Amino acid sequence: MALCEEENNSDSTLAFMKLAIEQANDALNNLEVPIGCVFVLDGKVISSGRNRTTETRNATRHAEMEAIDELLKNWQDNGLSAMEISGKFFKCDLYVTCEPCIMCASALAILGIRSVFYGCGNDRFGGCGSILSLHSSQGKGFECTGGIMASEAVSLLRRFYEQGNANAPKPHRPLQISK
Amino acid sequence: MKWAIIHIPEKPQISITEPPSVDVFAAVIEPKLANTLVRRLNKICPLENLTHVKRVRRSSLEGGKIQLSVVLCLSHGEVEQLESIQSDILELVHAYQLSPFIAKVAKYAASSNEEWKEQCKLWPTSYHPPTYNIDGITGFSEEDSQTIFNFMKLALKLTKSGPQLENAAVIVDPSVRQIISSASDQTHSWHSLIDTTSMETGCIKQPAVFTCSQPDANAAAVRDTLLSDGVSDENKRSYTGVSCLYPRKWMEHQQNTGNTCYFHPLRHAALVAVELAAARDKHLFPGSGNMLDCSFQENRLTSSMNSPAKKQKLNLSKDEDDLDLKACSHDSCFETERPYLCTGFDIYLVWEPCAMCAMALVHQRIRRIFFAFPNPNFGALGSVQRLQGERSLNHHYAVFRVLLPEDVFDNVHS
Repeated sequence: MALCEEENNSDSTLAFMKLAIEQANDALNNLEVPIGCVFVLDGKVISSGRNRTTETRNATRHAEMEAIDELLKNWQDNGLSAMEISGKFFKCDLYVTCEPCIMCASALAILGIRSVFYGCGNDRFGGCGSILSLHSSQGKGFECTGGIMASEAVSLLRRFYEQGNANAPKPHRPLQISK
Repeated sequence: MKWAIIHIPEKPQISITEPPSVDVFAAVIEPKLANTLVRRLNKICPLENLTHVKRVRRSSLEGGKIQLSVVLCLSHGEVEQLESIQSDILELVHAYQLSPFIAKVAKYAASSNEEWKEQCKLWPTSYHPPTYNIDGITGFSEEDSQTIFNFMKLALKLTKSGPQLENAAVIVDPSVRQIISSASDQTHSWHSLIDTTSMETGCIKQPAVFTCSQPDANAAAVRDTLLSDGVSDENKRSYTGVSCLYPRKWMEHQQNTGNTCYFHPLRHAALVAVELAAARDKHLFPGSGNMLDCSFQENRLTSSMNSPAKKQKLNLSKDEDDLDLKACSHDSCFETERPYLCTGFDIYLVWEPCAMCAMALVHQRIRRIFFAFPNPNFGALGSVQRLQGERSLNHHYAVFRVLLPEDVFDNVHS
């Protein structure tokens, strides 16, 4: 897994991550775990998502899953076939504020996206190297780059846990900046 | 073969008397240096995959003298020479005039008291007995077994008869033996919005509607010899429709003309069952949870009042919220009856779930997983990965395989 220093990131990488952070902020304002993401195709944001587990009472409604649903629906509404959709995913990049968990990393491998750029690591659930390495072991696999605006991502999570997750029996989510 | 239930432990069975070990470099140290050295070592060379191994060993010498030894670092490969030690450790070795030697430590954390005692003979380790005590790990009563077989039969029925099989999931509240939700794979039949108002609760849902299922011509294909296990060979069934077995097959999905639903590569049976369980919870306990839910309802009310019908429905749900909030304030024990997510619930799956589904079941706090057939391609509960043994996860379920009589598939579908 490649890790970036802030200064090595291109302007566009940072710009997309800022949009993901905006999504995470929106989650925080709605008392959801503040993780957000955007999908990018040909230099354009094509969908966005943020955690929605509290609202849905469905702990699988992570930012990535929300954004994926939007993509699949839009593409099919536009009449794209499975083959065409697969071709689009193949050119898609994901920018997400926290390393995708094991579930989301598997999902991304199933869809066959090109690469993932993430903020902070996830040393409890991470599926892109922290706990399991699904980006390199399952399906087609994808490129993974961590540590982009990690401190911003972590400070959002800190704020969330300081105010308390009213929904969880006891709060624990990984808070670690990628090494 | 008869019905039987096998517990699938957190890690592969290992020999207690000869625990797997790894070689490390260790050294005897002055007790007064212990603190400083351990702190330095933990920083420059943390024992990442050996967190159960104690850094310091304390042994009594003749005459009651205490001797301390410390693990310096892993010894890599066959090289047992000092040159293989990383440079910052070597600096410590020289600075404190240590004499490194090779020691063996247990490779895995102990899972029982006996195992722990045995591995401490190599080098001391820490042992955390499981804090949970999930029913069934030590065996099932005749009555419980029968209940389990019956729920598994239900799951088998949902796999759909005919040539193209799919995975199926049934979530159950074992305390009252009630079905919470059930689903089969919906990778070809996604209805993007769940209508919770029309949802049946507490009773068996019919298998998903296969309005968009693949034409039979496509289904004729591949026989999977790997999976002959437990399923009789005479039947020309295809397993390529089982999404956890063939998660990348979605690309070959053919659209039917005039289809009324979407396809969705991630709508594996377990994920759909979790979604239905969550929707059921919102339906049965609309006002519980925290105040946040109410503010969400308000947001949606203002943002999506397109059609009168929708408006009415949402207003209704808002009224229910209000009622429930009142009810809650009168009777707070009402709230305590609602479990957090799927805490305490079991799930029955026909095939061992893939990593995506297995992790979804961690997130949703499922208590026990029963599956019938292993998934050699992508199974995450023992076949390829073993999530029940990933100690870093914040929740752990117990996993069981239910062995079926050979003809059970034919019987449930006849």
